[in-house]
Amino acid sequence: MKTLLTIAWRNIWRHPARSGVLIAAVVAGLWAGVVTVGVLNGMMDQRLNNLIESELTHIQVHHPEFLDEGYSRLFIEKVDEIAAFLKQDERVKAFTKRTITDGMLQSPVKTSGVRIRGIDSESETRTTNFHTNMMEGEYLDSSIPNAVIIGRTMANEHNMELGHRVVLTFEDVSNQLTSSAFNIVGIFESAGTDFDRRNVFVRSSDISSILYDKAVFHEIAIMLHDEPFAQSLAADINQNFSGITAQTWRELSPELNLIVEFGEVMLYLIMLIIMAALAFGILNTMLMALFERMREIGMLISIGMSRTRVFLMIMLEAIVLTLTGAAAGILLAIFSIRYLSSAGVNLERFAAGIAELGWDHMIYPIMSTPEYVTVVIMVIVITLLASLYPAAKAIRINPLEAAKDS
Amino acid sequence: MIIVETKNLSKVYNPDTVPVHALRDVNITIEKGEFTSIVGPSGSGKTTLLNMLGGLDKPTSGEVMVNGEKITGMKDSRLIDFRLKNIGFVFQHYNLIPVFTARENVSFIMLLQNRDKNEMMKRTDALLEQVGLGDRKDARPKEMSGGQQQRVAVARALASEPKFILADEPTANLDSNSAMNLLDIMERMNREEGVTFIFSTHDQRVIDRARRVIKMVDGAIAEDTLISVEAANQ
Repeated sequence: MKTLLTIAWRNIWRHPARSGVLIAAVVAGLWAGVVTVGVLNGMMDQRLNNLIESELTHIQVHHPEFLDEGYSRLFIEKVDEIAAFLKQDERVKAFTKRTITDGMLQSPVKTSGVRIRGIDSESETRTTNFHTNMMEGEYLDSSIPNAVIIGRTMANEHNMELGHRVVLTFEDVSNQLTSSAFNIVGIFESAGTDFDRRNVFVRSSDISSILYDKAVFHEIAIMLHDEPFAQSLAADINQNFSGITAQTWRELSPELNLIVEFGEVMLYLIMLIIMAALAFGILNTMLMALFERMREIGMLISIGMSRTRVFLMIMLEAIVLTLTGAAAGILLAIFSIRYLSSAGVNLERFAAGIAELGWDHMIYPIMSTPEYVTVVIMVIVITLLASLYPAAKAIRINPLEAAKDS
Repeated sequence: MIIVETKNLSKVYNPDTVPVHALRDVNITIEKGEFTSIVGPSGSGKTTLLNMLGGLDKPTSGEVMVNGEKITGMKDSRLIDFRLKNIGFVFQHYNLIPVFTARENVSFIMLLQNRDKNEMMKRTDALLEQVGLGDRKDARPKEMSGGQQQRVAVARALASEPKFILADEPTANLDSNSAMNLLDIMERMNREEGVTFIFSTHDQRVIDRARRVIKMVDGAIAEDTLISVEAANQ
């Protein structure tokens, strides 16, 4: 095997330019592929974390009909019992209760449909990182009555700023329309402009007192220490309490789940496209090498080299050639991703469009070790497949080729 | 002791279209230690006969026995192994592995035989010394003259300790001095170590050194002449 490897390595450098071009193509292809996948991974991971950590959380509990109907009267009855259950469960990192209703926001400029989210800023801060999106003002933690925080997009559209007043109109639990004036105490800017346009935050106690004569909550948002426990905890909550539905983020946001699954497929898709191009490069190079060495291979078979060894020699040559480029390409990609994961890829030029879709404009690429291993395995498999034909052709060479003139 | 024997060996190319009779009922025996030239004009069948003796080509009919073993009809993989252990080849175009040094080219065949590494290196160095290339061990083929390359090829053929060596037009691409030098080496190997050589050639310098000349015409043996050692040396 050592000798075959030696032959393979030296044969590669018989035509340094030709092998160099293929190696450069492998390096460039793998580097581009891995970095692209890393950027996509980063985008998806950030999108996922943004949504889960800033608002969605791992599990949400609602009245079974609340998400479909959206009526204020569909609040959670056994909030205190559920809260007590969650407090003693070790899987739970933090949780917060929210009062939610849909309504209208009126300003002197215009009227917009909004989701009014009543939160407790203290428990919300323990559970989510939405407070990090605050750009101006405060996060509902002062004593200003009927405080509201609105998104930057909405503030711009309504020409409003801190200290301005808006009127929120919504249905109470008995389906009666009710209105109240709220003071803008803060302006936030999340990753998605659409979210900023459609959501306002008020104190849960403020909105709850208007909705009903006691505190009502429509949502309990739960953050876990480890995401994989989401399914089991949601099942436990559903088993222990009636009249509610606990759902994981995957069930609550199927499009987010789709993004995660799509991200996993993307790795294979992008790499497969690159590998397909690579396969033709390997095939072409190996066939050229083979046609040039018909007489030499004929000689090897004549003097007693078995066809199995000839087959291995050609396969090894392709593998050594490709893996040389693959090793360099992946090393380059590792360094690039390591650098970019801290420096970030700045897509500011496309920030407006990206923000509409809810993505950050600074992307921090990530690639996991298993993904690198997958890429290496794909390279090896593709190389083996691409070199099968030249190797199969080599073992069919007639030893009489050795005696031919050219 | 008979090393090679053919019985009614025939080869017909294109039997279904335009048949070409390359060999017609060739019956020869080669004894151990012979220094034999197969001669004849182009197309007379000498290379075809050599290929049959080496198991590189299959006859249409008849058989080839090497060291008492019938190689015609032998399975390809077994035949390759048989060649590795029993037959040495020297080609007209040297056919060295270009990416290997002289030493690696010679030792390669012993690697295929899975020989002990120390023994292999000793034998390689000794053979290169014998062919006068002791100081060119680390040279690659492109760094050597044609004559030197062919001497490496002879060393390679001897390395596997074959029963006999087949040399197809070994001097055809060599200048006169290189050719004479190569023939000296092969003759010495034959004389001192009893190595059996079978050449196909139409080079008179080779024919003059042979101790048996088999002349072929139209695929058949026209003459088979034994020459005394004294006559060959004159």
